[in-house]
Amino acid sequence: MIEVRGISKRYGNLQAVDNLSITIEKGHIFGLLGPNGAGKSTTISMMCGLINPDQGQVLLNGNAPGIKETKHKIGLIPQSIALYEELTALDNLSFFADLYNLPASQKAERMEWSLAFVGLQDRAKDAVQDFSGGMKRRLNLAASLLHDPEFIFMDEPTAGVDPQSRNKLFESVFELKALGKTIIYTTHYMEEAEKLCDRVGVVDKGQLLALGTVDELIEQYGGESRVHIKSEQGEESFMTANPVNDLMTRLKGLTTVENLSLQRPNLETVFLNLTGKQLRD
Amino acid sequence: MMKAVVALMKKDLKLLFKDKMAVFFTFIFPLLFAFFFGSIFSSSGGSQGLKIAVSDRDQTEKSQAFIGQLKEASEFRVTETDEANAKKLVRTGKQVAFIILPEGFGENYGGIFSGQPPEILVGIDPARKAEAGYLEGSLMKLGIKRFELAFSDANEMIKQLDFSIEDIQQSDDMPAEWKSLLGDYLPKFKELTELEIAKQPEGSDSSGLSFGSDGDNPMMPLKITKEEITVQKTGPRNSFSITIPQGVIWAIMGCVIGFAISLVREKTLGTLDRLAIAPISRTQILAGKALGCFAAQAMVVTLLFTIAYFMLGVRFDLIKLVLAVLAAGICFVGFMMFFASITKTEQSVAGMTNAFLIIMGMIGGAMIPLFAMPGWMQSISHISPVKWAILAFEGAIWRDFTYIEMMTPLTILTAIGVVTFFIGTRMLKLKQS
Repeated sequence: MIEVRGISKRYGNLQAVDNLSITIEKGHIFGLLGPNGAGKSTTISMMCGLINPDQGQVLLNGNAPGIKETKHKIGLIPQSIALYEELTALDNLSFFADLYNLPASQKAERMEWSLAFVGLQDRAKDAVQDFSGGMKRRLNLAASLLHDPEFIFMDEPTAGVDPQSRNKLFESVFELKALGKTIIYTTHYMEEAEKLCDRVGVVDKGQLLALGTVDELIEQYGGESRVHIKSEQGEESFMTANPVNDLMTRLKGLTTVENLSLQRPNLETVFLNLTGKQLRD
Repeated sequence: MMKAVVALMKKDLKLLFKDKMAVFFTFIFPLLFAFFFGSIFSSSGGSQGLKIAVSDRDQTEKSQAFIGQLKEASEFRVTETDEANAKKLVRTGKQVAFIILPEGFGENYGGIFSGQPPEILVGIDPARKAEAGYLEGSLMKLGIKRFELAFSDANEMIKQLDFSIEDIQQSDDMPAEWKSLLGDYLPKFKELTELEIAKQPEGSDSSGLSFGSDGDNPMMPLKITKEEITVQKTGPRNSFSITIPQGVIWAIMGCVIGFAISLVREKTLGTLDRLAIAPISRTQILAGKALGCFAAQAMVVTLLFTIAYFMLGVRFDLIKLVLAVLAAGICFVGFMMFFASITKTEQSVAGMTNAFLIIMGMIGGAMIPLFAMPGWMQSISHISPVKWAILAFEGAIWRDFTYIEMMTPLTILTAIGVVTFFIGTRMLKLKQS
């Protein structure tokens, strides 16, 4: 379990994170959703012990993230491709495995597993600089799994990734969840948060604006659904909190319906309603 | 703990060897530098003589004999030509100086006791002070030969005395006392010389007249007895003894720049975050970097000195050399850490490290050897760590430093290294946290 208790971080005049508190259950995928500059990376950096909060506390299974025992349980997939591009995939994995002091037999086994997990076993001996962007992202993930961490922090792992690699990455996230890992996933793509996350925290300007499952957030902050009907009587659009009932009522008087659409609220509208701006502004 | 540090070192060395440019500037360029300049210095080591153009206005037997002496002298390489061309050759820089023997040169060259000293006209660029001094000294040396010639050959001496007695009798401007003294003395001296010639066996050479003594000529300016002594040579064994330490400095500078860039690159790539998240301390991370930089320096220095020993004939005291390598390594690892800590991008660290090290190299003797620098520049060079590193290497190679003398450069290098390393690591840790 991860407990984040009132953490804050300031850089000069910028309040990057402001009194943020979250609890994440073991085996959950938790999403931090917010636009660029919302404070997601700073939050994740404090959660995994890369930087110290000015105030507050982070506990991973009751321990601070900076201590050696906890570090063995943390896997970080940084936003950038944090690999040595001149080296081969194997050389990269071998180096990062050595940092975790894995015994030789376990090291070979984990390297093989990690490469297979991200589907790169055929490219093990190729230099990373010859990989596509998506392959680099997958190897970036593999390098973080060598020591079999319990907590996996993924900082915008799909940035600049092609759809095929993105889908492969989504599969990997679900597989990791199935293995009992606790995953913290930051993104500014609401589709990813909706698809992957058990719970989502919406952040903006360093503050946690809302917290809950996707359905809870939509129900609480999403507002009404938009219904659009095109019939022999013309076109009509209306907002409703109960689209099914309202639609049934409207359709009773019509003989021909040319077009009918129902736009339910989503995390985008949640964010819009919470901040007054689009998620990708 | 050591496993992670060694892994970091191995990874950095792998990265270094993957980068062809880094390998060139760390391993190949310093060797080329040392070999190229060493070869140039060694081929220009022997004096080939000052190039001079000579013109003979006098056209006498004596003037031609003097030109012959010039041609035979090892100090000169003589081109005999007309006066206009001689001047042109100097103006266009093809010859260092011209010498003109004016009319009357031969007459005065023969006059020992009377007349004027033989005059020669010399033309040289006033900026070439060193060559001018060398030229004047060498010409004076040849000038002395006319006395040697006159006093060592009795027949030549008789001719000189006849010429001088006649000249004195005809002279109007010589003071009466001098005229009387020489008019009385020179005829007697001529008689004595003729008497000595008469004593010589029939057909013998008139040179080396003994004047009654046991074979020595009292009229010679000096009697020089030569004894051959083999002087123990101090100084560099060959030019490579100078250029190899310079090459080593370039190699070390290459390592420093390469590793400073790689450390900053870890920050910009995000790999430093991966390292920081691993169960190793920040001190271990920085120690791994430092060890990698130090190992690369040690490898390149070993390579250069091995080549220098077996192929270029450079000899050194191994223990002192190892001490020099250690101290220089500590010093420049410190600089690597310092530069990596104060810069944010690869471009800025490359620019700053290059600029600093090249300036330090220039004033520290990595380009012009320390001993060849003017005094004021040698004083300035004290501020350069490059100077102390070169001094330490030279101390182990050809300066024959004692261990006490080695202490000065070694202590300075180590102190600089410790201070810069401490500041650098502190700043990096602060930035990370």
